Amino acid sequence: MKHESIETNAGLLIVLTLIVISIGGLVEIVPLYFIDSTIEEVKVDNKETIRPYSALELRGRDIYQREGCYTCHSQMIRPFRDEALRYGHYSLAAESKFDHPFQWGSKRTGPDLARVGKKYSNEWHVQHLIAPRSVVKESIMPNYPWLMEPLKYKDIADRMRALKMVGVPYSETTAEYEANVKRFGEEIAKKLNILHAEKNLIAQAKTGNYDGNADDITEMDAMVAYLQMLGTMVDFSKFDEGHFADFR
Amino acid sequence: MFEWLSWFTHMENTKPFVLVLFTITFVFIIVYVFTNRKRGKRLESYKNIPFQDEDENGQSKDIKDEQ
Amino acid sequence: MVASSAPVEQYNYDIVRKFTIMALVWGVLGMLAGVYIASELAFPFLNFDIAQITFGRLRPVHTTLVIFGFGGSALFATSYYVVQRTCQTRLFSDGAANFTFWGWNLSVGLAAISYMMGYTQAREYAEMVWPIDLLIAVTWVVYLVIYVMTLRRRSQPHIYVANWFFIAFILATALLHIFNNMAVPVHMFSLSSYSLHAGVQDAMTQWWYGHNAVGFFLTAAFLGMMYYFIPKQVGRPVYSYRLSIIHFWALIFLYMWVGGHHLHWTALPDWTSTLAAGFSILLLMPSWGGMINGIMTLSGAWDKLRTDPIIRFMVVSLSFYGMSTFEGPLMSLKSVNALSHYTDWTIGHVHSGALGWVAMISFGSFYHLIPRLWETKMYSEKLIFTHFWLATIGIVLYISALWVAGIGQGLLLRAFDEYGNLAYTFIETVSFLHQPYVIRAIGGGLFLLGTILMGYNTLMTIRKAKKERTEIEAKIAAKLANA
Repeated sequence: MKHESIETNAGLLIVLTLIVISIGGLVEIVPLYFIDSTIEEVKVDNKETIRPYSALELRGRDIYQREGCYTCHSQMIRPFRDEALRYGHYSLAAESKFDHPFQWGSKRTGPDLARVGKKYSNEWHVQHLIAPRSVVKESIMPNYPWLMEPLKYKDIADRMRALKMVGVPYSETTAEYEANVKRFGEEIAKKLNILHAEKNLIAQAKTGNYDGNADDITEMDAMVAYLQMLGTMVDFSKFDEGHFADFR
Repeated sequence: MFEWLSWFTHMENTKPFVLVLFTITFVFIIVYVFTNRKRGKRLESYKNIPFQDEDENGQSKDIKDEQ
Repeated sequence: MVASSAPVEQYNYDIVRKFTIMALVWGVLGMLAGVYIASELAFPFLNFDIAQITFGRLRPVHTTLVIFGFGGSALFATSYYVVQRTCQTRLFSDGAANFTFWGWNLSVGLAAISYMMGYTQAREYAEMVWPIDLLIAVTWVVYLVIYVMTLRRRSQPHIYVANWFFIAFILATALLHIFNNMAVPVHMFSLSSYSLHAGVQDAMTQWWYGHNAVGFFLTAAFLGMMYYFIPKQVGRPVYSYRLSIIHFWALIFLYMWVGGHHLHWTALPDWTSTLAAGFSILLLMPSWGGMINGIMTLSGAWDKLRTDPIIRFMVVSLSFYGMSTFEGPLMSLKSVNALSHYTDWTIGHVHSGALGWVAMISFGSFYHLIPRLWETKMYSEKLIFTHFWLATIGIVLYISALWVAGIGQGLLLRAFDEYGNLAYTFIETVSFLHQPYVIRAIGGGLFLLGTILMGYNTLMTIRKAKKERTEIEAKIAAKLANA
């Protein structure tokens, strides 16, 4: 075959080009779906400890995306000594397995947030989000006062249903609920029930009282609820030292 | 069904495999393109295509002005 | 705008003119957004507590306007021009071409507005919400059809190398766009959606997309530009056509593998990121092969460097292409990446490619193109020289400031004191960044100023062309009246 036959035939040029540009993606992406060791198994007492987001946390995550937090904050701790001291245990693949889309980020203009949960009080987060420089003088983060506005959550069930379609185990039928009880335990399975999504969201916002105001449900409630659960789902003291290294 | 794919995930398999495969392809292309003198001449003749449209379309005027 | 003297033009230049103008409009707006967010990092009060202009929302506005608005329109303009000139045939279907014009510009405009309103997919460089993604997909398919149909009715048996690069860019972009944007909407009338992939697979898909937005959108297609406009401007054919064949196949094959180097040391399996690093290093060969091909084409015309500002743009663009395609493989080494990742070094690297290579080759091509499209000379050659110097000094300031920022912050973050504790808190490294951020904003501002000058120069050129045409028409009318 002559190279001219490609150079003079648009159809052949297109087909060959398509083949050549497809190989890389096929080899690198497709196996990630089929190789089991890609995502670690994280079980304690035979229950999975990494769970999908609760209704309120999910709305918080939506707001995190809306404000473009990922443009300055990563959620992926690398296995280095300085990162371990600064942020904690390196991130597991399993910890973002329910993240549609992933929010690993690519730039740390601010610190990594993968394990920010429970590190600061709710009050600190509220104050810091409204006026970062009132807490950290040198901060260059924008103020987010509008997070104190009421949270919109009428479409929460639709949101969870969409996530269910892409594979997140939220439950609608009794059978799905029972499966979740087996997989995550009863307490968590209740949070994943789409039928009670709105009720659960309101209850978590009221009892959690993340924004310091128990009466209103604000975007701040959702945002702080999300931040406070980041990186808290794996209790590393329950696993052997080298356990997760085997997956790398 | 897709278990065979995991063969590729072992570096000790993939590295030599990929090295041999791509080296052969690359050398083949180099040899094809640069050996035969006649073929080379023919291939090089195509580089004048951008200059063949000057006469007919009336666009050549401004180009001459500039040079 | 259509030259009234010619009843029907041999080529469809109208579409090329429209995309050229839009490229400059989006370029100025996108770079303005860039300078503004750069200033926000140096002086955070500039966020003014206005949600729509905070850094997080404006940053995708900047990237979308410069990559897809400026870069995309530049590619539509030049690819439509090159395919007609090298195939010596008129572009297929004026109506379809106009559809791509409106579809593309509407997508870019709507995307920018929707980000400011808070509607985003939160995937870097693919932030457009799903309805805009659909509009882009339709536009892109029409683009492919136009391109292929034009190639099919060429009067020249051979397809010139620039067109191969454009075809590869169109095909790859379609593939990447479709697979990366697969998502399920919340409901029919909601702009929100959740991506089909999750976690590791999502990350790999996104960076397969993200790096090939660089590889095909910002490199392969602009190489197509290089293979046409550099030979035309110097008046010499490309140095080696055989080298360009190797360049083409090696580049499009290798690029698709390298996205994983954005995910070194993350939860992505080691085999994937190692593979990506290996291919990133291999990629140096076709990149430099292409650069050498371009430089050698220019090398017979060094004397013109003194008199021809367009050739200066081209030489500088190739130099930056060579530099950033060397820096890229370097940063894809795991040990270097451990330091550079998450820092401003990455941002500096992107801009040495995007400003130095992409924007400079586009400017050079446009300065070649605009006089031919409007059948006149540029309004001011002096302004082109000024633009050249503003842009070049701007880039140099920009990337050196971010080398300092990135490498400096990387080193500070991994520094330990004598007891083995971290030597610096995170916020101390943020304070360190202030000065480099100010210099970066100044560098970006100079580059923006250059682009504004180009916009002005182009506007005046178009006005001049109109005036010249009415004068000629008046003369002809007078002659006819006398006869």
